[in-house]
Amino acid sequence: MATREVISTGNELSAMAAVDAGCMFFGGYPLTPSSEVMHEISDLLPKVGGVAIQMEDEIGGICAVIGAAMTGVRALTATSGPGMSLKAENLGLAQMAEVPLVCVNVMRGGPSTGLPTRVSQGDILQSKNPSHGDYKSITLCAGSLAECYTETVRAFNLADRFMQPVIVLLDETIGHMHGKADLPTAEDVKAGIVPRKRFDGAPEDYFPYECEPDQPAVLNPMFEGYRYHFTGLHHDRKGFPTEEIETCRKLIQRLEDKVELHKDELESYEEFMMDDAEIMIIAYGSVSLAAKESIRHLRKEGIKAGLFRPITIWPSPAEKIKEHTDKIEKVLVVELNIGQYHSEIQRAAARLDIEGLFKVNGRPISPYEIVNKVKEL
Amino acid sequence: MSKTLMRFTGVGGQGVLLAGEIFAAAKIKTGGHGLKTATYTSQVRGGPTVVDIQLDDEEIYYPYANDGEIGFMLSVADMSYKLFKDGVKLGGTIVVDPNLVHPTDEDRKKWHIHEIPIITIAKEEVGNVITQSVVALAIANTMMNAIDKTVLIDTMLSKVPAKVHDVNKKAYELGEKYARSVMDK
Repeated sequence: MATREVISTGNELSAMAAVDAGCMFFGGYPLTPSSEVMHEISDLLPKVGGVAIQMEDEIGGICAVIGAAMTGVRALTATSGPGMSLKAENLGLAQMAEVPLVCVNVMRGGPSTGLPTRVSQGDILQSKNPSHGDYKSITLCAGSLAECYTETVRAFNLADRFMQPVIVLLDETIGHMHGKADLPTAEDVKAGIVPRKRFDGAPEDYFPYECEPDQPAVLNPMFEGYRYHFTGLHHDRKGFPTEEIETCRKLIQRLEDKVELHKDELESYEEFMMDDAEIMIIAYGSVSLAAKESIRHLRKEGIKAGLFRPITIWPSPAEKIKEHTDKIEKVLVVELNIGQYHSEIQRAAARLDIEGLFKVNGRPISPYEIVNKVKEL
Repeated sequence: MSKTLMRFTGVGGQGVLLAGEIFAAAKIKTGGHGLKTATYTSQVRGGPTVVDIQLDDEEIYYPYANDGEIGFMLSVADMSYKLFKDGVKLGGTIVVDPNLVHPTDEDRKKWHIHEIPIITIAKEEVGNVITQSVVALAIANTMMNAIDKTVLIDTMLSKVPAKVHDVNKKAYELGEKYARSVMDK
């Protein structure tokens, strides 16, 4: 596949990816450290006939995106932790009503307004369940400049396939760092787009939520004659509110199963020097860059360390993690929070002796801190 | 050349970010790897800002310069100088604007500290204070011999509007001249 070299930042690459993936609408509100996504896409979208709008607040941003997505277009919003908290209610609405959209979250220190300009990975658990209720979140996490592009593209394709929000996690470091990225061409990205499913029968036979128990709803674009009711309440096959026992149960079970039973389509991870690894480091996002450099140092000293890096964070690659943790005794999770993914690794590994290196002061974890921790194991 | 680590520090709004982007892009143009990261505070205008620049022939993973490994630092604000100077390795080079930054006698024993009035040069000799980032770029490149001068200038010109090309070329030449004059001392 042909590639092209682009010099840019993670945030700008994410905006560029959205447009290349066919996104035609952006709604949002600028929030450090994600603002450059909005800045860049506000420049790019009008050039391809799309629309970018700064709404009155974060809630307005996601509501506009839900509306745009219901007309059939690909739509994006971008924010950081405080904005995710505000968008949570409507992310839940999009889960319930099965509206595909992409939400880029460039993580900064939290909770609340936290550390606006500083790096963090404190939104890992939030991205698993941003809203109340049962549903299965899909969250991707970029670990390089190139992945800020490729994971945003993948998020749009997954959103249309699974008919739900897909969260792309960047962090302040990766969003703002400026360097080289080898990217697929825009033509290849366009060629890889699978259009959202549509119902082509008679409008009176259209029941968007009447589908197989492991499949998403089929929402035709609004204003084309195919009517349905849109609600966050439990709903029937036409979308109208209902409290009918079996309909309610089946709906929520389907929201779970449409993802859970198709995890193989979502799984994505990187194994770096894992072939002969005697120590497994698990890291994601910008921390994985420090981990890779630490492995370079450790290997020079004869210490066989390797990195396992989940790219699809939710659902987690639990089986693959267990495969490694069954064989490797020394496992270290490194992350910029107090063990949010560590608990998931413990669960996946069914082990309580997983080590952790955590930091929550807004500063990055340096390769030397990882080297020192590994030597202590 | 293998790896060059440089750090530019100042306060938000001075334009230190641009110099970092130019260095990274120029290195990539020559087939190498270049990465710029910036750290700033919520107080965007007037808060301490640090830009780390890594230029390498090999792939760069960790995007920040490791403290104690930085070979060159340039500073145009005292608070940033004090915050970030300890990242420079012993015997490394530090360039400061003497009107704004005041190193201690102890600092002068640890590092090669050169004084160049960067802001004054930009304001009075070039005639446009905004060109201070290009004066800084020229000083850093002259002292570190990091990138082929022509490639660096071409990259710089590609990032500024055509109407200010001449003034930025002048800023580069002046930065280089001042760098050479303090190096010869």
